[in-house]
Amino acid sequence: MSLIDIDKLTFEYIRRDEEGGVEGITTAVDDVSLKVHAGEFIAILGANGSGKSTLAKHINAMLLPTEGQVTVEGMDTTDEGLQLKIRKTAGMVFQNPDNQIIGQVVEEDVGFGPENLGVPTEKIIERVKKSLKAVGMYEYRKKDPGRLSGGQKQRVSIASVIAMHPKCIVFDEPTAMLDPGGRKEVIETAKQLNKEGITIILITHYMEEVTEADKVFVMSKGKVAMTGTPREVFSRVPELKELRLTVPEVTDLAWKLKEAGLDIPDGILTEDELVRSIKKEYSIRKN
Amino acid sequence: MLRDITLGQYYQADSVIHRLDPRTKLIMTFVYLISLFIFTDPYVYAAGLLFLVIALAMSRVPIKFMIKGLKPVWLIILLTSLMNIMFTDGEPLFQLWRFKVTAEGLQRAGFMAGRLILLVFGSNLMTLTTTPTRLTNALEALMKPLKFIHFPVHEIAMMMSIALRFIPLLVDETDKIMKAQLARGADFESGNLLKRTKAMVPVLVPLFISAFRRANDLAMAMEARCYHGGEGRTQMKPLKYKGRDYITFLLLVIYLALVVFLGHFLPGILG
Repeated sequence: MSLIDIDKLTFEYIRRDEEGGVEGITTAVDDVSLKVHAGEFIAILGANGSGKSTLAKHINAMLLPTEGQVTVEGMDTTDEGLQLKIRKTAGMVFQNPDNQIIGQVVEEDVGFGPENLGVPTEKIIERVKKSLKAVGMYEYRKKDPGRLSGGQKQRVSIASVIAMHPKCIVFDEPTAMLDPGGRKEVIETAKQLNKEGITIILITHYMEEVTEADKVFVMSKGKVAMTGTPREVFSRVPELKELRLTVPEVTDLAWKLKEAGLDIPDGILTEDELVRSIKKEYSIRKN
Repeated sequence: MLRDITLGQYYQADSVIHRLDPRTKLIMTFVYLISLFIFTDPYVYAAGLLFLVIALAMSRVPIKFMIKGLKPVWLIILLTSLMNIMFTDGEPLFQLWRFKVTAEGLQRAGFMAGRLILLVFGSNLMTLTTTPTRLTNALEALMKPLKFIHFPVHEIAMMMSIALRFIPLLVDETDKIMKAQLARGADFESGNLLKRTKAMVPVLVPLFISAFRRANDLAMAMEARCYHGGEGRTQMKPLKYKGRDYITFLLLVIYLALVVFLGHFLPGILG
């Protein structure tokens, strides 16, 4: 059984004018079906307004489907009695680091989730310690979160989710407001957690963050436009460009070289690969 | 400059008073203030002063900080003293322009000033030695009985602690918006009061919009972390009375007994 099963999900929201009358209906997610298995690292890509965040918020019952069904470990998100359990199973890290930290001290923030779950005091302290160590923020446990860097704040937010012992963490554009250094910190943490067995769903519009994902979904206008491994998706450069997505620099360079007549395979993901194929091509030409 | 504001006036130090349970301190301060209001006897004030001096010495808060705390109230102290000196009837000591200055007046002025100073010092000692977070926790714990009359104790405490967390962020944001508007040619400093108030509108509107956006985000983040009100919630750092708290309560009872004796029985004995 898959951990998350999204079946023909459609989500519409009603736009209203200033008097509250219906101005129109926007379909943010349009007939999307996808499955996520335990332990996978999934990436959902898409330009702004492609519906990727809306889709993410369905996974932990923050939004409920207009049509279709979303189940997490077999639990239907529309069942109100199960919502707490669903949110505990599928945690979420949001975009703005400042607006998701509740505690005034780092460790208090990490303890917030377990407190809500009714975990006994001694266990909370243990969980907070473990979670902060997992993201490398243990020595900051007594600090004021306001004084941390963006990347550190996001790591605290990740620790806060881990403390609830989730099976899956949904990252909703966690790096959109960070500098390159902070972005790397967050993505490395996510990869590390995946190695430890937590299912990761990463939503982003930075393509270079997803090269190591098991599976990539590209969204456009509320629909899944492409599915596949990063290599499969990145071999379709013209299509990606049409969807207003920029491919990683290396992939783009490889694609341009190929267009110029070099015999290079599609979907190059790393510098090493590119260097190797250029060398190969070069040695063939020399002979 | 705005970034470094401190909320409340916590003075960081490691003392017995700092380590006391915030509930103990809250109760102690409350009882202390009431004792000063009920009795008007000089011996009681002497006892109150002694109690305060001992607590202050134990707290390691420099006296300078206590005196700073008088800043907002010294005018009130001065005014009430003057009123008492000028308008109290009795044996005139000397005439000051149209007012008779009496011994009783001087005595009452002294009492009033002493009482006000003790009140301010007493409550300041609590806020100087307790962080706002701990105070909020104490308030929540002490108000718990009000739950029976459906008073939203947990919600109010949660609101207070969220406010404490977001005030610095919003102050920071105000600063940024003001600079942005200044760059667009806004003028916050010239003109009369009305004009200057009007000039704040372009700052307040974006600030409100941003505050609502933050509130929305935060509510979402709290829900995503299974927040569902105070029911079934446990605490990571529950308040626990320790030995020092029981000793403090014992001292408080002794103080009360002393004050009641000095204020109520001693005048009778002395006739």
